[in-house]
Amino acid sequence: MTHYGPCLSFWFWGGLFRLVAGRPDKEANLELPLFFEVIEESGLSIWLRESTSLFGFWFVLSFHAIGMGLLVGASAVIALRILGVAPDLPLAPLKGLYRIIWAGFWIQVASGILLLIAYPTKSLTNPDFYIKLALIGLAVTTMQMLKSRVFSDPGLSDTAMMTKGKLFAAWSLIFWIGAVSSGRLLAYTYSYVSYLG
Amino acid sequence: MYLEHIHLLLNHWPIIGSFIGLGLLLVSLLANSDDLKQASLALLSLMALLAIPTYMSGNVAQEVLRGSPGVSEASIQTHQGAALLAFVFMEITGAVALLGLWQFSRISNPAPGPLARWNVSAVVFFSIVTVGLMTITGNTGGGIRHPEILSGPESESITGTLGSAIIPWIGYWVTGYSRWVWPILETLHFLGLILIVAAVGVLNLRLLGFLKQLPVAPLHRFLPWGIVGFIINVSTGFLFFVSMPYFYVFNINVHLKMLAILIAGANLLLFYCTGAFRAWAHLGPGDDAPLFAKFIAASSMFLWLAVIVLGRYLPFAEESLR
Repeated sequence: MTHYGPCLSFWFWGGLFRLVAGRPDKEANLELPLFFEVIEESGLSIWLRESTSLFGFWFVLSFHAIGMGLLVGASAVIALRILGVAPDLPLAPLKGLYRIIWAGFWIQVASGILLLIAYPTKSLTNPDFYIKLALIGLAVTTMQMLKSRVFSDPGLSDTAMMTKGKLFAAWSLIFWIGAVSSGRLLAYTYSYVSYLG
Repeated sequence: MYLEHIHLLLNHWPIIGSFIGLGLLLVSLLANSDDLKQASLALLSLMALLAIPTYMSGNVAQEVLRGSPGVSEASIQTHQGAALLAFVFMEITGAVALLGLWQFSRISNPAPGPLARWNVSAVVFFSIVTVGLMTITGNTGGGIRHPEILSGPESESITGTLGSAIIPWIGYWVTGYSRWVWPILETLHFLGLILIVAAVGVLNLRLLGFLKQLPVAPLHRFLPWGIVGFIINVSTGFLFFVSMPYFYVFNINVHLKMLAILIAGANLLLFYCTGAFRAWAHLGPGDDAPLFAKFIAASSMFLWLAVIVLGRYLPFAEESLR
């Protein structure tokens, strides 16, 4: 899979790029889309990769870890409560945790884009990256469905909320575990670090 | 102060602390005193926390002593082997004690319940094993610099030999056996982080006044999930460290991270897992927490955040990764 997957990914992104830019494969590197190189040679990308400043790459990565804690941690509290942990805790006020979920989500989007700018080839040629994005999409959608079905009706009792939300809570936990795992594994599954090698 | 002093500063604490912890626990059972029982469980958990930097700093001492006249490499290996086993059993004792301690702070179903009785016998068993292993660790450690206390020309200890055989074995399974073991352990380390942040975070946010409509006592039920996360992370972190000690041991971010874990762990266990928590557990929906509770909650948030950031910055201080 580690050899087969990237080929599919190059084919897809390369094809898309050629379709949009209308350029034939005249470049030296026929496999990788040119825009990886364009991003990698931008000042921001170079600074993120090479800066020895305390506020460079590791700073962004720290924010990505904190955002994960907020996003997945708050989702986990809601999901665990619906699955029966802390049964004496009233469910309705937990709706406030959605503010933390969204704060964490936007921290992840911002820090994630910066990480992508630093290493576009490394991420976009790794099939695991697309698996991660898909799992995050599924997890966030499941959490939103849980919100609209369970938390938007103030008339529901806690027991009714638990019954209605059980399936969504279980799936959101599964998707989050998958998203965190595929995210962590990005550091060990890439085939290219940068455009040149 | 130099790095090698840390081991000298710390190494008597877990040995003497586990002895006193076991003694207090036995007295508390004879006297049937819940307060004394809590004190002994808290002491054993604190010693388990303190044992982490104690074990880690041993690798610095080993590096400094390597090749010194009058110091045999074999005696250091024996000591390290005994220390490894003592450390593992100290951590198991601490984890079981922490879960027992958590029950004391629960108000809906206060200890001693059925689990509490099971818990105390487990703590007694594991702390007896720990005390035995700590004794051997202390003796073999003293023997490195004081050959006059040894019975033979070379210190011999079956426990030490057994333990020192485990170290390369762990290294092989974590780094050599398959390239997937390390990534899987890292993934578990992240999932453990999320459990800690979820359980500790929601309680701290409530005490700080966010999510004020939640009563405090039921939130306490999430803490065992955080404790499980902490157990996962100490176990996976231990495997990382034992496999590649010199990747971590001279790294300033590792030192700061361990310091933050020590304070955050002590904070969690003293304020949220003892009877001390009962004073805050009665806070109902809409009640404002006292200023001291807010201070503890804010410092806990700050410390766990520091643990995450320092962990993420860990490779930053590693010259070889630049």
